Amino acid sequence: MAEKHLVHSFTEAAGRVGAAVVPCTTLQDAVAYVARTAVGHTLIPQTALAAEFQLRSLLGGAGVDVCSVSFREAGQLPGAGVTFCNFAMADTGTVVLDSTSEDVRLATTIPEVHFVILDPAKILTDNLAAAAPMNTLYAGSEPRFVAYITGPSRTADIERVLTIGCHGPRELHILLVPDVSDDLMEI
Amino acid sequence: MAATADFKKSVEDALGKPKLSEALHLFGDAYLIARENAFRGLDFDQLRTELAAIKDDVRERRKELLAQFIANAEAAGSKVFVAKDTREANEYVVHLAKQKNAGLIAKSKSMVSEEAHLNKALEAAGIRAAETDLGEWIVQLAGQRPSHLVMPAIHMFKEEVAELFSKEIGEPLEADIRTLVDAARKQLRKDYFDADIGLTGANFLVADTGGIGLVTNEGNARLCATLPKVHVVFAGIHKLVRSMEDAIKITRLLPRNATGQLLTSYVTWIRGAVPTPGNDKEQHIVLIDGGREALYESPVCRDALRCIQCGACANVCPVYQTVGGHVFGSIYISAIGIILTAFYEGLDRAKEITRACIGCRSCTAVCPANIDLEEIILHLRQQVTKEYGMGLVKNITFKAVMRNRALFHNMVKAASKLQKPVTQQKEGQPATRVIRHLPMHFMDKDLTQWRDLPAVAPRSFRDLFAGIDQKVDNPRYRVGFFVGCGADFVYPEAGISLVKVLNHLGVEVVFPNSQNCCGIPALYAGDTETGVELAKQNVKAFYEADVDYVLCVCPTCTMGVKRDFVERLVDDPVWSQRAISLSEKTMDAVAFLENVLKASDLLKATSAARITYHDSCHLKRGNDVWKEPRALLRATGYQLEEMKNSDRCCGFGGTYSFLSHPQISRQIAGDKVESIKVTGVKTVAMDCPGCMIMVGGSMGKADPTVRCAHTMELLAEAIVEKPQGQTPGEKQF
Ligand code: SF4
Ligand code: SF4
Repeated sequence: MAEKHLVHSFTEAAGRVGAAVVPCTTLQDAVAYVARTAVGHTLIPQTALAAEFQLRSLLGGAGVDVCSVSFREAGQLPGAGVTFCNFAMADTGTVVLDSTSEDVRLATTIPEVHFVILDPAKILTDNLAAAAPMNTLYAGSEPRFVAYITGPSRTADIERVLTIGCHGPRELHILLVPDVSDDLMEI
Repeated sequence: MAATADFKKSVEDALGKPKLSEALHLFGDAYLIARENAFRGLDFDQLRTELAAIKDDVRERRKELLAQFIANAEAAGSKVFVAKDTREANEYVVHLAKQKNAGLIAKSKSMVSEEAHLNKALEAAGIRAAETDLGEWIVQLAGQRPSHLVMPAIHMFKEEVAELFSKEIGEPLEADIRTLVDAARKQLRKDYFDADIGLTGANFLVADTGGIGLVTNEGNARLCATLPKVHVVFAGIHKLVRSMEDAIKITRLLPRNATGQLLTSYVTWIRGAVPTPGNDKEQHIVLIDGGREALYESPVCRDALRCIQCGACANVCPVYQTVGGHVFGSIYISAIGIILTAFYEGLDRAKEITRACIGCRSCTAVCPANIDLEEIILHLRQQVTKEYGMGLVKNITFKAVMRNRALFHNMVKAASKLQKPVTQQKEGQPATRVIRHLPMHFMDKDLTQWRDLPAVAPRSFRDLFAGIDQKVDNPRYRVGFFVGCGADFVYPEAGISLVKVLNHLGVEVVFPNSQNCCGIPALYAGDTETGVELAKQNVKAFYEADVDYVLCVCPTCTMGVKRDFVERLVDDPVWSQRAISLSEKTMDAVAFLENVLKASDLLKATSAARITYHDSCHLKRGNDVWKEPRALLRATGYQLEEMKNSDRCCGFGGTYSFLSHPQISRQIAGDKVESIKVTGVKTVAMDCPGCMIMVGGSMGKADPTVRCAHTMELLAEAIVEKPQGQTPGEKQF
């Protein structure tokens, strides 16, 4: 069970950096939220959790324009990407995604909006607590690509004015869905 | 000498464009607030001590860790190339590009590629390099180089950016930041898709995983690493860390100290050639020495390689804020830039910026890697002096005059007579002597245009002390007084006040007459020999005096006695022992009063005057003393109103403000004057005769009704019996 205070500080920290944190009761709620919010071509990588919960057909059924071709053919600025995540960090409001599969990388970098489904049971206290699962992810010698994502893409390069949405997604929606998975190695 | 003239000109040009300096000031102020918020609840000193320890261990084990990193990276399919210099590194990339038939390389930010002038090398081979970091792209389009480590285009304004983008994109764009960012988003997106190679830097090379870490905000590094088939990592060898834990610890400090963020939008960890649908991904890691090994081998300067490139040492530097990074830097800018320029580009390229540092230690205080930047710069300045000389005026002053105490003191006396015709009474302040205009032959005439210079006092402290009758029965302590030149010859009242306050608290003062200048002005100008000679004279004087403590009213002298005497005499077993024991008992007068005597419990609140306090660089950041004067002043009843940025340098820096860079000093002093004016208070307390010269002099021109006083003077006034109805702080008006 997720500790309440972790969910609370995660929500606050993510909110402070411009992410929308949306508590959902069930995965269906989350699907409905994405269907209401997503615009355009939507990239949904077929990760273990996506397959287990049949995320593509759920979203497709709810009217989302699910991308069915190779993500590289989905255009240079597709509408949305929907993913699960491995775990999160409460102190900074960060979600962590094993993005070794190219589809996860593309779905989280090129779309205008990124939706990420997080089971509150996966929220760790802080980035020091993330060292252990990170080491597990990097055990062995397989190639690996892990992304910490904290809020939407931002820049302050023109006159030091904070501007959201430079090269990465302009919006980050974090959907808190209980009972999805508490396995930090699973995405 | 041509370089000097060029540098002077670039300083003047920068000073002629106040818009940039204004922007950098606003940024500097906002930065401090954001940083403070970001570190709330964390112990910065503990974190930076830990980071320094990590980096030092990496330095010692670098060969082994580099081998470990390479083995792990190769096991994950990376190709690793170690380049001994930037030329080799460039050649590797050019060769690879040719092999791949690459016409376009999409680049995310890599400072070492700036250092290598990689874009030029690619261009020469007919390969286009597209910078995708927004700031880097702006700078690239403008044909310039970055002026800040973290914000490359901090010197540009949106109108200039709009002009550049409109030209590049071929449609007119409004000077609106949102519009400009969107235009860049669209334009650069094509480049990621079209590029054959994506090139990134690396914030970390993690030895035990063989992976790299990238700390970014915009998301361009992830696109560069993902979309093109080939990913090239271009990084300096000093980015090595031992483990994931090390890297994670650094991510706790880096964004907080760089931009006041708890974490950047993206931290990306990549190991090996990650899978793609065709499984044709390649990752090449180019590790560059380029002078780093030599820097690791320099015992005095090697700490500089602990740098994590947060850019903070620029954010807080008064010289950077005044002239910007294009003047105060080369490839790397500000404090760290001075050091890296000396090692990567040569001492010759670094000599002007080395002299342009004012020595305020703000960089040292803010550095998350605990690098004593100011001390390393000081050392480099000595090297510069050895190789390029010191300039005539300083040379005669230090070598011929300062070393000979009797001659020096006689000259000062003579000066006090010579200056007579040019001193005049300061309006409304009968007690203060100022020089309004200096004799033409003495120094440049523009020196007194913007500030009054203090005159040499008619009688020095050493003369006045002889006439003081100390009435202390059974003294609690006998303390030696190291007066320092400023308090001896310009502000003897600071020393006289100290004697009063100490006697009042039952302490007897001893003044060894054979003491001389602390030698810091000579040392700061790079004259080590004179520094050693002066250290000996002083250690001898106080060794013979045999006192319980030695006090200074000038924090620069305190640093000289505590730190530099020991270092200067380290090779001589007898003298170094004496220097160490002198160092141990030396402290600032305010620190002695508060920490040894607990004077704020003993003094009575007799004054009610409103004052503000200026923290001297060397008192706060050199000696870690800043609570003490406040406690003492409050205890005696003064109403303390803090000014904005009370610990920002006043622009003095010793000979800096007179000989090296008076124009830069002038700007920095102007900021201090503004902060003081805003408080509306008529008395400014401080604990450094150098600051009194600068703040007093600049205030004298800006608003002569504001009094600048040494804390000792205000304390002495508060303990003296006063006639009814007069508060000591205001009695001079
Ligand atoms: S000591 Fe002061 S002037 Fe010199 S580089 Fe550091 S911050 Fe800048
Ligand atoms: S020297 Fe220190 S303050 Fe300057 S950029 Fe490096 S880490 Fe940051």
